[in-house]
Amino acid sequence: MTALLEVRDLRTTFATDDGDFAAVDGVSFSVDEGRTLGLVGESGCGKSVTSLSIMGLVPQPPARVEGEVLFDGCDLLRMPAAGLRELRGNRLSMIFQEPMTSLNPAFTVGEQINEAILRHRKTSRADAKALAIAMLERVRIPSPAQRYDDYPHRLSGGMRQRVMIAMALALSPRLLIADEPTTALDVTIQAQILELMRRLREDMGTAIVLITHDLGVIAEVADDVAVMYAGRIVERAPVAALFSEPQHPYTIGLLGSIPQLHVQQARLAAIEGQVPTARAQVTGCRFHPRCPFAVDRCREASPPLADVAARHAVACWRAPLPWQ
Amino acid sequence: MSAVEPSVRPLLRVDALVKHFAIRRGVFGRTSGRVHAVDGVSFDVEAGETLALVGESGCGKSTTGRLVLRLLEPTSGTVEFEGRNLASLDETALRDLRGAMSVIFQDPYASLNPRMTVGQTLEEPLALHGLAQGRRRERVREILKLVGLAPEHARRYPHEFSGGQRQRVGIARALAVEPRLVVCDEPVSALDVSIQAQVVNLLRDLQSRLGLAYIFIAHDLAVVKFLATRVAVMYLGQIVEFAGKEALFAAPRHPYTHALLSAIPIPDPARHRGRVILEGDIPDPAAPPSGCRFRTRCPHARALCSQETPPLAADDGHAVACHFWREIAPPAPLPGTAHTPRNARLEALQAAFRASSA
Repeated sequence: MTALLEVRDLRTTFATDDGDFAAVDGVSFSVDEGRTLGLVGESGCGKSVTSLSIMGLVPQPPARVEGEVLFDGCDLLRMPAAGLRELRGNRLSMIFQEPMTSLNPAFTVGEQINEAILRHRKTSRADAKALAIAMLERVRIPSPAQRYDDYPHRLSGGMRQRVMIAMALALSPRLLIADEPTTALDVTIQAQILELMRRLREDMGTAIVLITHDLGVIAEVADDVAVMYAGRIVERAPVAALFSEPQHPYTIGLLGSIPQLHVQQARLAAIEGQVPTARAQVTGCRFHPRCPFAVDRCREASPPLADVAARHAVACWRAPLPWQ
Repeated sequence: MSAVEPSVRPLLRVDALVKHFAIRRGVFGRTSGRVHAVDGVSFDVEAGETLALVGESGCGKSTTGRLVLRLLEPTSGTVEFEGRNLASLDETALRDLRGAMSVIFQDPYASLNPRMTVGQTLEEPLALHGLAQGRRRERVREILKLVGLAPEHARRYPHEFSGGQRQRVGIARALAVEPRLVVCDEPVSALDVSIQAQVVNLLRDLQSRLGLAYIFIAHDLAVVKFLATRVAVMYLGQIVEFAGKEALFAAPRHPYTHALLSAIPIPDPARHRGRVILEGDIPDPAAPPSGCRFRTRCPHARALCSQETPPLAADDGHAVACHFWREIAPPAPLPGTAHTPRNARLEALQAAFRASSA
């Protein structure tokens, strides 16, 4: 299988008053055709900046984006703006966390889906409308022909996210980047949307990069997972291996931090301390101030992301951790 | 969880609480409708226990919390704290009572005054409750230590803190005046997972140390399962199921609870299960459906459900508002601990985190 998207040593730097800050600091991963990669991490770990950098949505300057983003063999970072616009919304799509702010309140739902279709396809308005209504039906919006003429404020949060998905998938993109697509939704609505994404992926074979802070969502939909911490990938593995054999202390702590429905817990294994801020320059492994396994070497040098098993890589000097 | 002492009178008794908000339209503010935010909610809270109010957006859980604190005036119904009806109290008596009941809000960013140092924020309630100036400093130091902050944090401003630390300040403020009941309104929803765990552990430690009662308002059932003694599930302004935590999670009765439980993504890819996925959205609370309010989304709804409102009826202490709950089998059983092979390696490694945080 060939990689549809290959990100190599991506580095996104912002100039701040205290000097340059690399929000994404040397991130590499790849996504194969039709697979779902989960990018998981807490606020400020750089997961959203990673996705915006891939889409060419980080304004340069003030930011600086370096590395390579190969989509179908072409480097998106070196592509002229016109070429990127041709790709976005067509073969490469994105949905965001807040469906209200990503829909234009002054246009009907139908006009907004049509705009995307007509931008990329030479087709009549009538055909575009038919396709838009078919998409609304496909994302299971009730009475799609009527909803087509509605303005976004008339729809609930879950319905708006469906509209965003309909718009993103109208032109059968090969890759969908979904940035916290269900975070703003209630759990029963989240379950609907996740189910919908799963089914659409099966029907259309779209590869997905799913960005989330929720390990539960990752477990439900991802095939592979990359865990990010302070701008770097600290662990990368197939989903089953990540949950059963996590190697990085951060992943282990994160899994212990979630209260679980099916397990009795006396106390959560909270990770003490907090994520380093842009100002704090942590030398060595960025997780070492919070890591109960840290040794001198962790404070001195930054560990590389190295393979511990087939398709399972971890950036930790202490891996494999001794436990018996 | 601390044992609940049998007492004649609960700490808090809420009876048939109703809150309707008027929808006003036009220049003259004519009332064009009423949002039924809370519609006949009753419950007791015993000293030292955690009552969880759970449900999705618009179910009325936060409004209920505010009514309990009398931050909102109820349309009807009563709230009694230690046997005293809140509606009958004058300003002074109410202020005294506010010392015994306090609140932790969801958003630690919005609920702290950015122009006051943490020390000033914490001293304010102490001054209101008449603590002498000299003692206040000391109490602030004590309370900061209690929530895991350092005394020197008193001189800092809220913006100098991270989200988790700010929520610790929020907790410190709630505990400054030694309350007996704390309403926690989504206290960890805005926090990152690793920070959320710190705060959840802290809330639990503080409860066992100080004997606090919590009304814990949340949408996250996993957190609720970790903290609650009893759970009330709300839907469109009403309690649809009310039971002890063990009973509710082991054998949920209301179809809405079934759906809510099965909608939660489980962080374990080896444990996929059958799901109840509800159709549609929560109806408009200004025009709730007739009869059972859940019937428009309920996979088991029948004719009777639109005609008659099912009462919240208790059976062996497990109350449910559904005409047909006896006939509805819970979907796939919730994955239990029995057939879960324990991951000894993961548990041993996570113990290192527990040890470092103890």
